[in-house]
Amino acid sequence: MSDEPVSLRLTGVPLRKSAMAAISGGDLPIKDPVMKKLNCLLIAILAVLLGSTAAMAHKVSLFAYVEGGKVYTESYFADGTPVEGGMVLVYDSQHKLLLEGKTDKAGLFNFDVPKVDDLTIVIEATMGHKNSFKLKKAEVEAGK
Amino acid sequence: MCALRLLVAVSVVLGCILPGGTAWAHFGTLTPSDDIVTQNDTKTLEIQVKFIHPLEGHYMEMVKPKQFGVLHDGKKRNLLNTLKPNKGHGPDQPGEYTFWTADYKIRRPGDYTFFVEPKPYWEPAEDVFIVHYTKVCVNALGLEKGWDEPVGLETEILPLTRPYGLWTGNLFTGQVLLKGQPVPHAEVEVEYLNASPDNPAAVTAPSDPYVTQVVKADAAGVFSYAMPRAGWWGFAALSEASWKLKKNGQEKGVEIGAVYWVHTLDMK
Repeated sequence: MSDEPVSLRLTGVPLRKSAMAAISGGDLPIKDPVMKKLNCLLIAILAVLLGSTAAMAHKVSLFAYVEGGKVYTESYFADGTPVEGGMVLVYDSQHKLLLEGKTDKAGLFNFDVPKVDDLTIVIEATMGHKNSFKLKKAEVEAGK
Repeated sequence: MCALRLLVAVSVVLGCILPGGTAWAHFGTLTPSDDIVTQNDTKTLEIQVKFIHPLEGHYMEMVKPKQFGVLHDGKKRNLLNTLKPNKGHGPDQPGEYTFWTADYKIRRPGDYTFFVEPKPYWEPAEDVFIVHYTKVCVNALGLEKGWDEPVGLETEILPLTRPYGLWTGNLFTGQVLLKGQPVPHAEVEVEYLNASPDNPAAVTAPSDPYVTQVVKADAAGVFSYAMPRAGWWGFAALSEASWKLKKNGQEKGVEIGAVYWVHTLDMK
């Protein structure tokens, strides 16, 4: 492998192919301290980039409906994977926590209608993925 | 009466003179009032079913379709009896033409693929019957599942690009299927719906080839097109049916079209 600088530049420092190899899993030792720092920086940037992609793909949602006096909730990721063991928090229109529970293997969590009110149902999945669903008072009343 | 006859005669003559292809592209049209339903949106979609020239805005008379339904969560639901007749016409069109509307209430998360199979339309200018199997997909409540499933129509476009949440300029890629099999080198006509609700100003084509864009699919029936304007875009892949229909006792060919509609939004 030649030590010719490649066209990729970061903060004006030419990045050598050997550094690229190290980043992409190669085990060439890097002696130059500047290159070491650069390497760390690149890994950090990659981590942030990859991290944000993962978060996008893991967009979580909760869907709820009322039937026969019970509130049925389903929590899922965008691709349909159920949210297992996610925390479900139910708030009334005064933001008072009425109850909480955990989703099962199928992403489901059901409970008796706690109050005829506008309900906000929050799903908290792992890694800070969070979303909420508003169940209007009229819907709660209709399903009671 | 005499004037009417003259008009008919002139139309027939014009129909023969003008090229039957691009400038006269017919499109089965299926457009919902929204293509992404979020929890704060109204859950009732208004769906319009038309047979038109989308860029020029010309309507053709449409009888009640043979089939109208929705595919959601792997299940098909017949919605034919929800269709109501309505009247409309293009900006420079005298008279009124029938199109169809339906209200559909979204109840659950997931992708909803609406589909319509019209009754055969007799097109004297081209001496064929036309049947456009038309689809559109609506996403609901954060669950992006189902858009890539075929409905199982005689011919249909299977989207390879997720068909909602598209920006202006995005590439739409789809596969043309006939009886479930890819159609190699299928010809796909593309048109912009000038009557798109978010179109700020009507588009005028400087010459005929601008009206209908044409792309050809590859050997696997896969085509792509980048959409240059916000609004609704229609893709129509045309094939000749293996069956014939009778008109005044004579057997006539049937053009079957696989049509798909997608919506784009400007990035701002």
